[in-house]
Amino acid sequence: MSVRFREAWSEFWVSGVSKLGVAFLIALSAISIYVLASYPLDFGLRFWNNPPIWSDNPKASPPVWTSSFVGESLVEHKTFLATEPANVTESVQSRTLTYEFSIDYGYDDFPSFTSFSISNTTFYSRAPQFTLVFERPDNATLNLLREVAPAKRSEEEPPVTRWAAPPRRVYLTGDDRVASAISSFLTRNFKLKLSRDQIINMHPEVPLFGLPEEENKTLSWKVLKGLYRIRVEAQLFDPRDTVGEIKYVLGGSVFGTMGTDSLGRDLAVGLLFGFPVALFIGFVTSTLTTVIGAAGGVASGYLGGKVDLLIQRAADIVYNVPLLPILIFFTFAVGHGLWVIVVVLVAFGWPGLAIIVRSMVLQVRESQFIEAARSLGASRRWIMFRHVFPQVAPFVFSQLIFYTPSAILSEAALSFLGLGDPSIPTWGQILQLGFQSGGVYVGWWWWIVPPGLLIVVTAVTFVFLALGMEPVVNPRLRRMR
Amino acid sequence: MGLARTLTARAITLIAVLILVVLMVVTVLGATGMSDKLLGAIVDERLRAERQSLSQSIRDPDELNRVMEARKLELTRLYGLDVPWYLRLPQMAYRVLALDLGNARALKSFKGSRVISDIVLERLPNTLLLMTSAIAISAVLGLVVGVKIGTHPGTRKDRGLSYFSAISFALPTWWTGILLILICAYSFQMAFGFKLFPAGGMYSSPPPTDPWLRVVDVAYHAALPVITLVVALVGSYTYTARTIVLNVAQEDFVTVARAKGVPEGIVERRYIMRVAAPPILTNIIIGLAGSIGGAILTEAVFNWPGMGTLYYQAILQMDEAVIIALTYIFTLVYVAGRFILEVLYIVLDPRVRY
Repeated sequence: MSVRFREAWSEFWVSGVSKLGVAFLIALSAISIYVLASYPLDFGLRFWNNPPIWSDNPKASPPVWTSSFVGESLVEHKTFLATEPANVTESVQSRTLTYEFSIDYGYDDFPSFTSFSISNTTFYSRAPQFTLVFERPDNATLNLLREVAPAKRSEEEPPVTRWAAPPRRVYLTGDDRVASAISSFLTRNFKLKLSRDQIINMHPEVPLFGLPEEENKTLSWKVLKGLYRIRVEAQLFDPRDTVGEIKYVLGGSVFGTMGTDSLGRDLAVGLLFGFPVALFIGFVTSTLTTVIGAAGGVASGYLGGKVDLLIQRAADIVYNVPLLPILIFFTFAVGHGLWVIVVVLVAFGWPGLAIIVRSMVLQVRESQFIEAARSLGASRRWIMFRHVFPQVAPFVFSQLIFYTPSAILSEAALSFLGLGDPSIPTWGQILQLGFQSGGVYVGWWWWIVPPGLLIVVTAVTFVFLALGMEPVVNPRLRRMR
Repeated sequence: MGLARTLTARAITLIAVLILVVLMVVTVLGATGMSDKLLGAIVDERLRAERQSLSQSIRDPDELNRVMEARKLELTRLYGLDVPWYLRLPQMAYRVLALDLGNARALKSFKGSRVISDIVLERLPNTLLLMTSAIAISAVLGLVVGVKIGTHPGTRKDRGLSYFSAISFALPTWWTGILLILICAYSFQMAFGFKLFPAGGMYSSPPPTDPWLRVVDVAYHAALPVITLVVALVGSYTYTARTIVLNVAQEDFVTVARAKGVPEGIVERRYIMRVAAPPILTNIIIGLAGSIGGAILTEAVFNWPGMGTLYYQAILQMDEAVIIALTYIFTLVYVAGRFILEVLYIVLDPRVRY
């Protein structure tokens, strides 16, 4: 057996497609294992389909590396997080924690938005106060915002926790207080008179990150490059008071390695989750299909008679049912669960294999070693398992590989028609959303090309493996290569 | 004799397929309570219409209500809504077979009718046009290229073909379509200010009035969807043809022909291609179900006004009656197409009497 296996392996390993297929398979499995280890199982419901989590991200932004094609440096989306203060100063009745973020701003464009959030502060007596201070490269300093945690109510026992879930999030781009702080800053430093509404309409980030230029009485803004410092000062009035986390988001027009979708979801995260899901669908469906198909084929071919007639008639009919319309109908009528797709794929997938295996078994049945086993008094079940099945096993195994991509492709097709399982994000669903939101017509290629490409790569992996296995399974092909 | 028997056997299997699908559909409909909803909607629709016409003759509202109440009972019994779903199976099956499924909830035919059979049947020709042209082009391409490559096995082209067919099999049809839109419509628009091919639809708006220009217009709109389907199909067609040709080219009669000095072109066309054609047809027959699936998705991508796009719209609008009708019609198209191909196969390959 091991000699046979080694021979088969060397026969398999000769061709280029096999090597490519094995390399791809190792990569796919490694990524899947990484994802399974690092993602929660309910990722789809808890994270992916939970819009608040993604609210800080820019919508439908291309990946960061695209800015090198555009020729100008686009603002990269960045989130600044701090849990520990950079500096603590004490006074008689209070303590001031200073959190500091510095941004080396060298982009040619203004941020698309900025936001700021505070989470999880606890206090004993007076509510903590937060001040957001913005320091520009030209040494101008603005007090943008002041936030005070809601005071302790009389019925509450200290310590009181505020802004635990959800955190206090201020969308600076649309905030009146920020706009009026900027308005007075512009009057003071540049003798410009702009109302709050004007500033909000032009986006407060433009004067905040820019220098005004006046030419022929029209005002324009130039990006002020350099080091910006964002300071958050938290004033606490009891030594036991704490602050959880401070976050400042610089909204960019490019995001991460894969960009975002129209809800601001990080596509890299969703695409990664698709790996184990695709492999799972492929493996489960193809395994069940081949087990049923092979069992049906062996029984049909070896037992003959009425069993054969029944299985072959059933196979003939089921084999002829057009799959996609049935899949659409079932998922529509029964429900969008992943298992519905798997069950239907298996129920209509087995006959092809059963028909071929039967014809192979018909030849095996007549061979002498089967006759020998039979004359020794072996039971039919024993013969089928121990003598007939091993003869067709290599072929069945190659079919197992060959069925895998068709299951993955079918799931993707259903997802594309809007019949995917909503609790489990797949590549097909990401693509469907990209198509449905009109991404093709406005050129959101980073949303549409990668998921399709991943489906192709995964499917091709198994096709290559099956192709490489062909000469092993079908010795006639060996001569021809 | 043999011929008639073969064809009858095939016909029986195919009819059994149709019956199986219809039975499955009505059973699922009954078990999920969907058939109650569906028939209930038909009854309500009829009651509303009758009330309208009766209100002309019966003035007294109480009298009208009483008449309508009696009528409602009558219709409930007529449609079998008073008995459990499994007793209603034959009636439901007949309804599906006759496409008597009432009105669509939101979808309309191009002429504005809401009757299911109107909506579905007027789109049938568009789907057939797309599918048959794609399959015909792929088959011819597959045969020609397959013979060219199959007679020269082991070359770089041969290896290239096996890679291409693997990728063609692995390409989701609809994604190919999306890519083509992205390249031929969007990128061209961005780079050159015009679209190489339109991104969707079947006619320009407004469509040209001259019949010849109309044909050109349809062909222009069909280009991308047909290319999409051909890319999906041609890989497996070519690969099968190549493998068959490879076997045929090693046969003695080919060697003899070459030894006789028959020109290579004639050897390829008359000796090899003639023998390789039927297996290609087999491949089309086996792949027909897959081609139907591909056509559904391609139409949805390109908004081609066929039954596939209708599927997509019906899913979005949750219009179950339309989905039932489409599942049935697609099975019917498949069964009919399959039978035609079987007949064609027998014509093409006289050796086959099974």
